[in-house]
Amino acid sequence: MPSLKDLRNRISSVKSTKKITSAMKMVAAAKLKRAQENAERTRPYAEKMKEIVLSLTGKVNKSNFKFGQKPNANNDKKIVLLVICSSDRGLCGGFNGSIIKYTKKIVSEVSEKGKGLKYIFVGKKAYLSLKRFCGDSILEQIQDFANPTIKFELAGDVRDKILKLFMNNEISECHLIYTEFKSAISQTVKSQKLLPVEEEESDDQQNKSSSTYEYEPSEEELLDQIIPKNIAIQIHSGLLENLASEQGSRMTAMDNATRNADDMIDNLTLFYNRSRQALITKELIEIISGAEAV
Amino acid sequence: MALKLEILSPQEIAYQGDVDLCILPGTEGDFGILNNHMPFLTSLRIGIVYIYINKKLSETFLVTGGIVEVSDNKCTLLTEEICKSSTITSGQQIEEDSEEIKKIKLKALEKFHYS
Repeated sequence: MPSLKDLRNRISSVKSTKKITSAMKMVAAAKLKRAQENAERTRPYAEKMKEIVLSLTGKVNKSNFKFGQKPNANNDKKIVLLVICSSDRGLCGGFNGSIIKYTKKIVSEVSEKGKGLKYIFVGKKAYLSLKRFCGDSILEQIQDFANPTIKFELAGDVRDKILKLFMNNEISECHLIYTEFKSAISQTVKSQKLLPVEEEESDDQQNKSSSTYEYEPSEEELLDQIIPKNIAIQIHSGLLENLASEQGSRMTAMDNATRNADDMIDNLTLFYNRSRQALITKELIEIISGAEAV
Repeated sequence: MALKLEILSPQEIAYQGDVDLCILPGTEGDFGILNNHMPFLTSLRIGIVYIYINKKLSETFLVTGGIVEVSDNKCTLLTEEICKSSTITSGQQIEEDSEEIKKIKLKALEKFHYS
């Protein structure tokens, strides 16, 4: 049985842990709000961009533009590039864990099809845990990117690297893995195809409304200019959503931790009081039985 | 019905409102957009966007390229980098501003750093 002093020490250490976790929760809540605002601000741009790209890809012959499916390039040895977004810091619940799990799932799916893999990591945590798993095929890892805010230039840099690899036929596909922010308590890991650009099924109505557009220069040239911009904004908004998810996940994790610490303090205090009373009772019995013997 | 202009960048909505005329730096030459323009999609080069309201020059922006879509009396400009011309002054001013912003950012960072 632990002595009373041990118990007192334990209670005070749990109390200070609780203080830390509740402070972290507050900070995460403040950061979450800011991250959400940032993510919201990019939304109009991203949505408009998506609309334009959709209306254009529907009109262009697939093989005619630079970023479409390459018909006969590296057909036997396809290499898929994964851009994996995670956080720089831990203590955010299952956030990084689920990213890592999802990545491993994708990797096994891709390698089953006999395709090679390459990786770009944004964020330290996924890199650290997947470093040995991925081996030499890590092309790049970016850390400390959200300090203090995510800059659009970062997405531009990543985009430039991806496009260079794609144009040199070093990769044939590119996917972005990030966590989609639904609410502070619910986030899901998602993967998004960045390259090659594929024709998506758009409804007839959209095609009709865009059929009277006048393009300057031609559709193909325009698309070649727009696709890089579209990739950059996709990466950027992915990173922003990822950051918001990280903060949301940390907030819930710290909230849970604070509540668990509360429970633990209650239990420990009860145990402490019981032990103290037992000790007093024991001493009393000793005194009384001693007195009776005399 | 007046022409609605919207200038969007990844960071913010830079401009939103009804205008008489806007002159844009297209890759194949500058062009103006008036009310009832036909549906039009083009790209921009680096240049200055002029916005006219009530037949007077109301605002100018510096853009570093982008995409413009015009349809149904709505003109949408997508650009990665944009700067209001009135905020551009001398180089000295910009230098001072960025120093100040740096300080504020540092302070905020210290406040929120917990690990």
